[in-house]
Amino acid sequence: MSATIDLLLQPFTYAYMTKAIIACGLTGAVCAFLSAYLVLKGWSLMGDALAHAIVPGVALASIFALPYAIGAFFAGILAAVSMSIVRQKTKLREDAVIGLVFSGFLAFGLVLLSKFATPQKLQTILLGNTLAIPASDILQITLIALICFVILGVKWKDFMAVFFDASHARSIGLNVNALKILFFTILSATTVAALQTVGACLVIAMVVTPGATAYLLTDRFGRMIALSTLIGGMTALLGAYASYYMDAAMGGLIVCLQTILFLLAFLLAPKYGFIQNRRRLRAAQRRCA
Amino acid sequence: MIDMLYTWVIDPLSLPFMQRALLIALLIGTVCSVFSCFLILKGWSLMGDAVSHAVLPGLALAYVFGLPLMLGAFAAGLFCAGSIGYIKENSRVKEDTVMGVVFSGMFAAGLVMLTKIETDVHLMHVLFGDVLGISARDLLETGIAAGIATTVMLLKRRDLMLYCFDPAHAGVIGLNTRLLHFGFLTLLSLTIVASLKAAGVILVVAMLIAPGAIAFLLTKSFDKMLLIAVIVSVLSCLAGTLISFHLDTATAPLIVVIQFCIFILTMGYTLAQPRTGKVAA
Repeated sequence: MSATIDLLLQPFTYAYMTKAIIACGLTGAVCAFLSAYLVLKGWSLMGDALAHAIVPGVALASIFALPYAIGAFFAGILAAVSMSIVRQKTKLREDAVIGLVFSGFLAFGLVLLSKFATPQKLQTILLGNTLAIPASDILQITLIALICFVILGVKWKDFMAVFFDASHARSIGLNVNALKILFFTILSATTVAALQTVGACLVIAMVVTPGATAYLLTDRFGRMIALSTLIGGMTALLGAYASYYMDAAMGGLIVCLQTILFLLAFLLAPKYGFIQNRRRLRAAQRRCA
Repeated sequence: MIDMLYTWVIDPLSLPFMQRALLIALLIGTVCSVFSCFLILKGWSLMGDAVSHAVLPGLALAYVFGLPLMLGAFAAGLFCAGSIGYIKENSRVKEDTVMGVVFSGMFAAGLVMLTKIETDVHLMHVLFGDVLGISARDLLETGIAAGIATTVMLLKRRDLMLYCFDPAHAGVIGLNTRLLHFGFLTLLSLTIVASLKAAGVILVVAMLIAPGAIAFLLTKSFDKMLLIAVIVSVLSCLAGTLISFHLDTATAPLIVVIQFCIFILTMGYTLAQPRTGKVAA
């Protein structure tokens, strides 16, 4: 018995493993918090675009040995500005603009990385490798995630008003533009943190899947946020923990867990689940017949 | 001048792997650009993104069961497109969200499989393509897949165009819109699988958007748009392959960077044009 417990606690005997698990869990929770807004606003692919678009910034930062966050920040702003310019100046659809800009940025980052960095570095940026993050960055990720979490926790109702009922927000005296900027700053900071834990390719899942799962389970926004955060945080913790035993890609495991939960919710959700829908449909047909 | 031509173009061409690389660049440049025109009009630019990420588990499973890798990738792409449609119709979640959930989930599953299973699938090559490492067999496979996709698209372009612009009208005049819908997604998967070897999962997306977007800025006629897209795409693919050979950088990303630059130049050009006030035909 005690041998089993020892085995289960084994990851925590390594300080770096404990830190990595905590950093992952926090990042997952903040991403999931944000996902509640993104899913309802129809901005699901924003996180994906952002995560890809900051790759050249991260590449330059890693080449010049600067903190990732700085490079990512500038690349993110540049991408956002180019998207809005292209959207205003052409008649292209929004999805085409997003796809075009983010893939262009990503490609530029990849050219830089293929020329100046090792393949390991490239793989770490795209697919994440929490265990390869230096201790200082772990601290940085944890701090970013904590700060974002606190701001979101305090301001979530204000953000809700700003995004879903702007005129109401203005009438109760909120500074709509400042809050929007704050929200997108948090989103970018979180994206950078998520990029370091699960990699650029999987950030999309962290900022979409938990929110989508929670959306199937509840109608109240507060509850949706709570559920989503819980799902995101727990799956990230569990995935990071399990990756110790399975020796598999940590980001991949976390996202697999989240996807499985989504599929379960899709099938079994009490009100909006697939099975319940079918049952309701059949009952209605019987009543008509 | 002639010397420069020799060192820059003719010399690389005498290397067999460069010949294959240029040929495959030509093939995928053509097929992707034809598709990009339809995707731009249909508003499905990100469908290419979704399907291309989703092929990863297909590759891993095909390897485990000893099937051709392209078959696995093709099946996984179809599965992705199909399940996105199915979940969207049977739940209240929006299409873009479902897309994100499904493709990232499949990508993650593929990633875990590939790290756990010893395969000869080189993850980095799947992600970024490996234009310079193309074998004659790859070339043949890509040629067949790209040939089928391009031919069907071009033959059926009127029907598909109508379906993209106005599905309701297409249905009214008696076209089978369900068949068109699934046929289109099938061909899209086929195209992505064909481009995988050379362009890689991550950059197929760009090649499926940029040429169409460039052509869209320059013309209002669909046939001209197709033509411009193909020309731009083929030229940038060839140029990218040659330049990456000389600069010693990854090929597929360089092609995408060139296309992105062409897009920016085109946008600058169209903005510099004085407004003629002509009514769009």
